[in-house]
Amino acid sequence: MKFNDLLLGLLVLLGGIAIYVSALGFTDIPGQDYGAGTMPRAVAVFAALLGLFMIVKALVAGIRIPSLDLADWLGSRRSVLSVLVALVLVVFYIVAAPSIGFVPASLVVMAVLMMTLKTKPLTAVAVSVLACVVIQQAFGRLLLVPLPRSEFLGFLW
Amino acid sequence: MSILAEAFALVFQPYVLLVILAAAAFGMFVGAIPGLTATMATALLVPVTFFMDPVPAIAAIVTATAMAIFAGDIPGTLLRMPGTPASAAYVEDAYKMTRSGRAEEALGASLVFSAIGGIFGTIVLVTAAPVLAEVALKFSSFEYFWLVVLGLSCAVFVSPGSVPRGMIALIIGLFAATIGIDNPAGQPRYTFDNVELLAGVQFIPAMIGLFAVSEVLRFVASGAENPAVEKGGRTGVFRKQWTNLKRYPVQTLRGSVTGTAIGALPGAGADIAAWISYAISKKFSKQPQKYGTGHVEGLVEAGASNNGAVSGAWIPALVFGIPGDSITAIVIGVLYIKGLNPGPTIFINQPQLIYAVFIVFFLANIIMLPMGWIAIKAARTILSIPARVLMPIILMFCIVGSFAINNSPFGIILMLVFGVIGFLMEENDVPIAPAILGLVLGPMLEQNFVTSMIKADGSFLAFFERPIAAGLGLFTIAVWCIPLVMLLLRRGRGGGEGKPAVDASDRIGD
Repeated sequence: MKFNDLLLGLLVLLGGIAIYVSALGFTDIPGQDYGAGTMPRAVAVFAALLGLFMIVKALVAGIRIPSLDLADWLGSRRSVLSVLVALVLVVFYIVAAPSIGFVPASLVVMAVLMMTLKTKPLTAVAVSVLACVVIQQAFGRLLLVPLPRSEFLGFLW
Repeated sequence: MSILAEAFALVFQPYVLLVILAAAAFGMFVGAIPGLTATMATALLVPVTFFMDPVPAIAAIVTATAMAIFAGDIPGTLLRMPGTPASAAYVEDAYKMTRSGRAEEALGASLVFSAIGGIFGTIVLVTAAPVLAEVALKFSSFEYFWLVVLGLSCAVFVSPGSVPRGMIALIIGLFAATIGIDNPAGQPRYTFDNVELLAGVQFIPAMIGLFAVSEVLRFVASGAENPAVEKGGRTGVFRKQWTNLKRYPVQTLRGSVTGTAIGALPGAGADIAAWISYAISKKFSKQPQKYGTGHVEGLVEAGASNNGAVSGAWIPALVFGIPGDSITAIVIGVLYIKGLNPGPTIFINQPQLIYAVFIVFFLANIIMLPMGWIAIKAARTILSIPARVLMPIILMFCIVGSFAINNSPFGIILMLVFGVIGFLMEENDVPIAPAILGLVLGPMLEQNFVTSMIKADGSFLAFFERPIAAGLGLFTIAVWCIPLVMLLLRRGRGGGEGKPAVDASDRIGD
């Protein structure tokens, strides 16, 4: 997903304007001209100038239409699906781990992603189980990270 | 002397030595896998170091980084796929050596000269840092302001790709740094009433996202398979290196010096050091025509250079609290989390800690030789681990690592957001390093800028009134002018003198 220079310049310019406007509401240090808004405003001005520069440069180079170039991988349904699966799996972990526990949730994340990437199911499950136990023992037991527990797998902790 | 003894006692404990050994193995492994960088090794290691005392934590990071930078040469040499960007400069020579059956010689040269460069950089670090710290004690907000600006400018101007794209990365980092309540007026900014965001963007999940998750996503999108490994022959890892050292002493020294100096510059690190040293080596070589055909000379110089830079980058990090590259940016984040504020006062308050870091640097570069030998011998096995199995496990490490920082799922959300941002940035050739530096240095920039403006009563001239501030300010402005000068040079040449001039303008003006 590649933005062309004109579109990228426009986005940077708009981002700069948005930051500037939002920073207008920030307060100053009492009795001073500077405060919470100083830095965001400076970043905003920098962004706006950069955006303008990029737009002018793109126009001079003959680019007239802001466009989005779809990368090769977006043409392949398999690649798009794999990226979506990876993202959904992370969201799944965030949502499901607190209720079903770390071990089942992480098993699903690893095994499903491996299979999506064309690993044989048996290998995927075996490696995932091993990795899952190693991670759980290393982080949960050794480093005492409170990974979400599963009732029936309490012996691992 | 008692401080030194205390430092030795801090390092030479079975636990710390074990950590060093484990980190070395980890760094070797990550560096040797194409696509996994030294920065990613550091990013994945940080959640683990979070639970250690400062010395083993720093020891782990120092060792893993030094190893990963060397190990990046392994896939470069055997597959023509540099494991880290720092190895990309001389990948052509290394790969051609493999094709002619000299893989072990090429890797041996990388290993030995990496260790030499690293030790040279450490010696400079040991001698220069305390002296610079004395000077840095006199710095006021004006000097720090310029140092931060210099670091950020270097990060933009030396980053791969065009300067405007580097600036976009910097803006992303600086903007992310403004989020939270930690600002001069103590007002929540861009928190959207989220309590977790009040503390600002947590640095470690953001970094894991930008460096590791984005890489996993890119692999998933490309669906690439492991390429076949070249055979490369058995010429012995160390056999030819003494001859190489005797034949190229000047190159070794020049690479070490250049690398350390570039590393010491705030904002520039090992990647750019390797490229510059390779170019210098070719320029001054008696056989420049042999470069790129499997010639070991450039490998010697650039290999020494990139590991010299790893040590050199710690000079501004420890002395000023300003990172020399994205790895030391991560380290500074870790130091702050551990309650150690990097900067000149650390040399006064905890000198034993600083000496312990120095000792660790020497150890890391020495242990590199036997560990590197093992890695070279085991390279084929490491490279045959299918990435389609490895990447999901790395993703899981990212998730657990991001969670472990605050024991909160919010870290994972942050990681995911920054992972997607990092993925989109790389798709658009926007470099990651300036964003990380912006994120780390943003608060320092803001604090010193606002303090200076209040002290100066709004006058920009005050930023040039103190001599060191004026020097740093002028140097920074000179760095800003580089693109303009290059453009004028190109115009002066008429722009039609062949490809190099066109390349330069593309890099700067694109």
